[in-house]
Amino acid sequence: MESKKTPFRKLVKLLPLLLTSMLIGTASAAVYYSMIMEPAVTITGATIRFIQGSDWPSGSSMGTNGTWVSLALKAYPNATLTYDQPLNLSNTDSSSHQFRLRHVSITPASSSASVGNFTFFNFVIKNAAGVSQASFNYTTSGDNWNTPSPTSYLTLPANTKWIVYIETKAAAGATEDIVASIVIAVDVLE
Amino acid sequence: MLSSSPLLPEFFALLGIDLILMLSLLTCLLDNRFPKAIPYVYQVVALAGFGHLLISREFLAIFGKYTRFWYCFFYLIVALANIVAANIYFAVSKGSRALVMGWFGAITFPTILVSTFFVSQYSLMPSAVLNLSLQIGVVLSAFLVGISMSIFLKPEFVKKLFRRKLEVK
Repeated sequence: MESKKTPFRKLVKLLPLLLTSMLIGTASAAVYYSMIMEPAVTITGATIRFIQGSDWPSGSSMGTNGTWVSLALKAYPNATLTYDQPLNLSNTDSSSHQFRLRHVSITPASSSASVGNFTFFNFVIKNAAGVSQASFNYTTSGDNWNTPSPTSYLTLPANTKWIVYIETKAAAGATEDIVASIVIAVDVLE
Repeated sequence: MLSSSPLLPEFFALLGIDLILMLSLLTCLLDNRFPKAIPYVYQVVALAGFGHLLISREFLAIFGKYTRFWYCFFYLIVALANIVAANIYFAVSKGSRALVMGWFGAITFPTILVSTFFVSQYSLMPSAVLNLSLQIGVVLSAFLVGISMSIFLKPEFVKKLFRRKLEVK
C-alpha cells in the first residue's frame, strides 16, 4: 500500500513544481527573446530623393535630405506656364526602389480669396526617356484647393534620375504677384 | 532594417535559470535524499533569476555589456555551484557510489561542459556558431548523458556488473 502511495505523493509534489518551472522557464526565455529581437535601425540617407533641376523655380527650397521640397510656383493668367525640369527624382542606390509623391501642404490655404486666382498645377513624373509615368494634379473649386491623393508606387531603377515636369495656369483676370507654395514629399519603399 | 542580435550576456542568466529549475525538479524526485524545502528554495532562486533578467532588460542602456556579463555569469556560477554541491552532498552524506557517479555523468559534467563552452565561445559567438570543438563536445556530452542516465535510473545494474566481475575473479 505504501509503495503505491509514494509515487502518487511524489507526483502531487512534482506537478506544481513542474508547472511553475515551465512558467518561469518560458517567461525567462520570452524576456531573453524580446532582448535579442530588439530592432536594429540603421540610419542611412534616403535612396530616392529630390534634386534641383535645370528649371528650378526661384524662391523654392529643398527640404532636409531631399525628402521633401517646397516649390514657389508662378502662373500666367489664362495661359499655361511650363517648367520643363524644375525637379528631379534620383535613385542613388545600386538597386531599384519604389517611391510615390505625397502632398504635404499648399499656400495660400483653402478658403483664402487668393486661391480662386489659380486654375491648376499639374505635376507629371517622367522617366529618363521622357515618358509620362504618373501625374499629380492640384485644381481649384472656387476658393478651395482639390489636393491630389498620393501617387501609386512607381519603380525607379538603380542609379537613375527621373524628371518632374510641372504645368501651371491662373484664371483669366487673375490678380498678379500671387505666388503659390506647394510642399510635396517623396516616400520610399525599401 | 531588422536584424537579430548575437548572443547576449543574459544568455548565461537564462542558462542558470534553466539549471536551477532542473535542480528543483531533480531534488523533488530525490526527496528522500534531500531536505524537503530544497525544491521550493530552488524555485524561488529561479524566480529571482527571472527578476534579474527583467531588470537587465529594463536597464539595458545603463549597464554596460561588461557589467551585464559579470552579473549574469555570477548567476550561472551560482547554479553550477549548486549542482556540484549536490554531487558532493551525495558523496559525503548518504549517496551510493552509483548515484554519485550517475549524478556526475548525467548532470554535473554535461552542465559544466556546456557552460564552459558557451562562456569560452562568448566573444567569438557572432562569427563561430558551430565549430569543431562544439561538435565534439556535443557528441561527448550525448554519450556521457546516455550512459549516466542509465546508471542514474538503474543503479543496481552497475552493482550487478561489479558483482559479476568479482565473482569471475
